[in-house]
Amino acid sequence: MELYEFPFHAMGCPCELRFYADKKQTAERVAEQCIAEARRFEYKYSRYLEDSVTTHINHSAGLRPIQIDQETHAILHYAQVCYEQSNGLFDITSGVLRKVWNQDRRSLPVDSELQSLVELVGWHKVELNDDTVYLPALGMELDFGGVVKEYVADTLTVMARSSAIEHGFVNLGGDISIIGPQVNGEPWSIGIVHPTEPDTAIAAIALSSGAITTSGGYERYFDIDNRHYSHLINPKTGWPVESLLSVSVVADKAIVAGSISSIALLNGEVDGLAWLASCDSAYLAIDCALVCHGDLVNTIEKSNALK
Amino acid sequence: MALSTAALSLPAFSASQPPEIELSLKTSVYKEGDVPIHRVVSGSEERYEIDIQQFYLLTPVARNWSLAFNASHETMSGASPWGTVPGIDGRPTLIMSGATIRDSRTELSVGVNRYTDNASFGIGFTHSNEDDYEADAIVLSGEWDFNNKLSTLALGLSYSDDKIEPTDALLFGRVQKEDKRSRSFSISWTQVLNKTSLLQSGLSVTKQDGYLTDPYKLRDVRPDERLEWALSLRYRKFFENPDGALHLDYRYYDDDFGVHSHTVQTAWYQNISEQFQLVPSLRYYSQREADFYLAIDDFTLPLIVNQSSDYRLSTYGAYTFGLKGIFKHNNWSVNISLDRYISNDKYALSDAQFKHPALLDFSLMSVGFDIRF
Amino acid sequence: MVRQRFFFLIVFIFLVGLGSCQSVKPWQRGTLAKPEMQLEVDKLGSQLYSLVYFSKEASSGGSEVAGAGCGCN
Repeated sequence: MELYEFPFHAMGCPCELRFYADKKQTAERVAEQCIAEARRFEYKYSRYLEDSVTTHINHSAGLRPIQIDQETHAILHYAQVCYEQSNGLFDITSGVLRKVWNQDRRSLPVDSELQSLVELVGWHKVELNDDTVYLPALGMELDFGGVVKEYVADTLTVMARSSAIEHGFVNLGGDISIIGPQVNGEPWSIGIVHPTEPDTAIAAIALSSGAITTSGGYERYFDIDNRHYSHLINPKTGWPVESLLSVSVVADKAIVAGSISSIALLNGEVDGLAWLASCDSAYLAIDCALVCHGDLVNTIEKSNALK
Repeated sequence: MALSTAALSLPAFSASQPPEIELSLKTSVYKEGDVPIHRVVSGSEERYEIDIQQFYLLTPVARNWSLAFNASHETMSGASPWGTVPGIDGRPTLIMSGATIRDSRTELSVGVNRYTDNASFGIGFTHSNEDDYEADAIVLSGEWDFNNKLSTLALGLSYSDDKIEPTDALLFGRVQKEDKRSRSFSISWTQVLNKTSLLQSGLSVTKQDGYLTDPYKLRDVRPDERLEWALSLRYRKFFENPDGALHLDYRYYDDDFGVHSHTVQTAWYQNISEQFQLVPSLRYYSQREADFYLAIDDFTLPLIVNQSSDYRLSTYGAYTFGLKGIFKHNNWSVNISLDRYISNDKYALSDAQFKHPALLDFSLMSVGFDIRF
Repeated sequence: MVRQRFFFLIVFIFLVGLGSCQSVKPWQRGTLAKPEMQLEVDKLGSQLYSLVYFSKEASSGGSEVAGAGCGCN
């Protein structure tokens, strides 16, 4: 069996499929299906495309409920559980706050500016039924970005397995879902990027099943008055969170790992660590002082050897 | 954990999850207590002992299709009641079969199921073979989910074609070759009531026709048609504390032989640890006798008049006390169960004229093994 | 008379089924998925009990159709 690699670009990030297969055509055929499926999700839930589901819902905010299919309903249901489990910190309606917190920001916003936007945030205001969803105020917005990428990683994994791929993984911009171990039975070694030195790995995690996702407060930030502000915004206050630098979580499914790590970041340093400890998943969290926490810490030494 | 549970309802994990292979084995010993010797006028007081071996395999064959095999083999030995005559005290006394009867039964079934997102359909065939009895049956089944899978409607249809060829027919003047058929219909509705409980209500109707008489009894004449129906309720409720599940089942049964019965069954599944479960259970059963039941065979009645002294058609009640232990490890589990059945006319809800001397007590012990992969 | 009784029973079944239930979200069904919460926990066990009671008592049936007959009854 040979290992085949298929790099592609989707959902705003570099992606890659790695399959072991007997024949090149088999691997190519499955990769084609998987990439097409990733594109389907990308178009369906894009915020930028005119006829995406997301755009339809957002354009009808304050006007009328929109019919949704079962897949969209299921994803929204999942987002709702994240909202409930995070006490409102994980909120897919918080995207409107980007109007204030964007790369062009050079000065701190005034309270009144934030306040008008915070009023447009709040999953609890959304009316979700079995086949419709309604954003009750003009200007409210849904953003599927926080859940869909991880869910696509899971979907492609299931898809590859059902096409008889047994060894390989799916990597969507660092959200990695394992199809099965390497062909010799060895686990894959997944490197975790160093939060302050982007080209080096701070840890290497050996994984032969499940998924691992990494989220970081380091990825994007604003410098205002010589201070770092992370791109992670508390949806209740509208202000950036002083979060952990990086959180990696290992779970059965990428969507679960992804929401656990996102919620950890939104909670800030202290509560974020407490949240991680309360979840049953293995994790590696790096705080602002570059101190590592979690049960994956002991994998770090290995990665130093890799460097 | 709530997030993992929530993720399970996403389409990627519900639709394309490959079904698992399930394999189960069970071996059991069933032993009836002896008949009281002073209530036997002739024959052996030793009753049935049965060894039972069972096998079950469920395997996916293609996307959305599964195949199931079922096999069981029973070997039995012991004596059975031939009839009753009045004893010195006027109470019924048994005539038992003399020599120990030895027989075995083999049953084989194969079934195919097709699954869609909200429904499943199945067809199955069963063949059962004994020295003196042969049966072929076909079963059709369908299940439909409603209300986001909170409700399930299930329908079943079956037809069984049975042939009876009693042993030593010429020697004892028994019938030589008879047949009977049974057609059965069932409907059930399963409803999730809330996060921790569900209820199933079911109804089944069975119509038998043909030779329904027991060919081994000295005098047994039964109608050649029997219409049976049963209503059942099955309730499941989980308790976080003390981490266990309650099973409560009730069945009402009625037929045109005049028998009607109530069955109440309850079990408690207690989780002792991640790996161990203990299940005490209790069953109560009470039936009213058939219209043509006679405690003592009446050999003076013409052969066209229905009569039977079969204890199974008498008025009685019974309790079953059971205890089961289930040990789970990874993808396999082992279970051991012990059941004790006692019956008596005094346990019945209605009064019986006499206690039938052949009323049963039995013990049933099983060891089972299950694996999924 | 018998017909009326059947009709009554079927209506009863659906009333019991449809009434008194609250909406349970898909992610709240973890408990219901536990093995001990299934209607039939042990397939071979259920078959064994059905056979024993079918051959030793007058009653049978309930929520499922009858299988193949046997000389035990």
